[in-house]
Amino acid sequence: MSPAGHDEALTDRTPVPDLIFPRQTLVSLLVFAVCWETLSHLAPYLGIPPFAVPSFVTIAKSLVQITPIDIAVTLARVIGALVVSFLLGVFLAMAMYRSEALDNYLHPMIRILMAVPVVSWILFAVLWFPGVEFRIGFVLVVVCGPVFLVDSLDAMRGVPRELRHMMQSFRPTTLQYFVKLMLPAIVPSIFTAWKVNISLAIRVVTIAELVGAVTGIGHQLSVAEELFSVSDVFAWTLVLVVLLFLLEAVVARVEKRLLRWRP
Amino acid sequence: MTVSTGGPPPIEVRGLRKVFRQATSGQTVVAIDRLDLTVAPREVVAIVGQTGCGKSTFFDLAIGLEAPTDGSILIGDKSPHSDFDFFRGKIATVFQQDRLLPWRTALDNAKLPLELIGLPEDAQRERALTWLNRLGLGAFVNAYPHELSGGMRQRVAIARAFSVQPNILLADEAFGHLDEVTAGELRETFLKLARECGSTAILITHQLEEAIAVGDRIVVFGKSAKLLADIHVEKWPKEKYGVLREAIQATLQGNAPDARLNRA
Repeated sequence: MSPAGHDEALTDRTPVPDLIFPRQTLVSLLVFAVCWETLSHLAPYLGIPPFAVPSFVTIAKSLVQITPIDIAVTLARVIGALVVSFLLGVFLAMAMYRSEALDNYLHPMIRILMAVPVVSWILFAVLWFPGVEFRIGFVLVVVCGPVFLVDSLDAMRGVPRELRHMMQSFRPTTLQYFVKLMLPAIVPSIFTAWKVNISLAIRVVTIAELVGAVTGIGHQLSVAEELFSVSDVFAWTLVLVVLLFLLEAVVARVEKRLLRWRP
Repeated sequence: MTVSTGGPPPIEVRGLRKVFRQATSGQTVVAIDRLDLTVAPREVVAIVGQTGCGKSTFFDLAIGLEAPTDGSILIGDKSPHSDFDFFRGKIATVFQQDRLLPWRTALDNAKLPLELIGLPEDAQRERALTWLNRLGLGAFVNAYPHELSGGMRQRVAIARAFSVQPNILLADEAFGHLDEVTAGELRETFLKLARECGSTAILITHQLEEAIAVGDRIVVFGKSAKLLADIHVEKWPKEKYGVLREAIQATLQGNAPDARLNRA
């Protein structure tokens, strides 16, 4: 037997590089660095306080003094809260997909949760909970969880009717229906939610740590602010940005591996 | 009559009625109106009818995804809707589009129904490979759907349906979207495999040539699945297939049985 269309099949795929770092990016960073360094040298002549625009040498000194434990603590808080948010969000999305009644009850609450400003959540957390870790975890989960939930639920509802119909015709159990169809089908949306939430979590954890934490990058930023050390603020901010890029790169790597089936 | 594991049971449709209420206008639409039909074990029945005659609704009722408004559809003594789980691994479907899961390879797609019935992993793989090989896809088991042509994807869908060696096979316009040569090849393969498996098969189609080529019987649906004709193809000599085709065509156009159908 010779299946029709074999010649059309298995078309070559051009490998896509992991990291695209165009020359323009390097140029713009270099221009920014030159402008900053020039400004730091000209600051005294322009009436700007010398500490306000530290030179790269000063910033490098601050970078050397960065304490890895604070990075580790912030990173652990972010990853821990994101994992909890993800599990809660997807589980609730599955329940809401299954039960229209539950969806009708929870949907307005989720809309309200998403409308509350982060600062309000931080204040609520400080007023409600005594433990610092719980406060930070609470704020992160309450901010990131709904993003996972809403994105997962929307993606489940977007699974093509044809695929749902096909799957149902083979009579899966509820668990099989979610494990074999729904969860794999929403993986692309889940990755989008992870990317959005990593950026969100890095910003939220910093604010949460600024208020009351005694460890973490947010706390170190608070210390730098008290010492009027712009170079320290710059150094810790640089760490946050690099951390965000690294986490996004890890997610992109996993995404590429898990979504290798896409054309 | 009970569903036995030895062979497929008959399909008995009695007074089947399905009414839908339109969401926008609130009006009711009678998709199927008091249909009576019997399909014998191992019979291959082609259902033909014009668009909107209730063929696809019948398909959904037969696989149990919809409940009848009135009447019954029984396979053996069980309802595919009320006894939904009972038919896991016993009813398989092939659709117009292949409906393969894009994140699964050809092998994993063919394994899907076997995973659902809880077959051990080794047996799943062995059986899915057997069916993919029989459908000429041995060299493409690790290909993803987007890497395969339309005809090959439909072959995977057929392998998926046959992998559970079902008692009942239902195909909804399964070859309608393919080119004539590919459709002809696949029809032939499908029929051969259905005969070998001893499955009862119902094929829904709008192509009369396909119905005549495949069916032991051709059931012609009019509006609201009114049974216009029930034709036993073996009573028609091959040289009269042209007349048969014209008679079915006239039946569909006139929404009433054509006189030539009684002169087989």
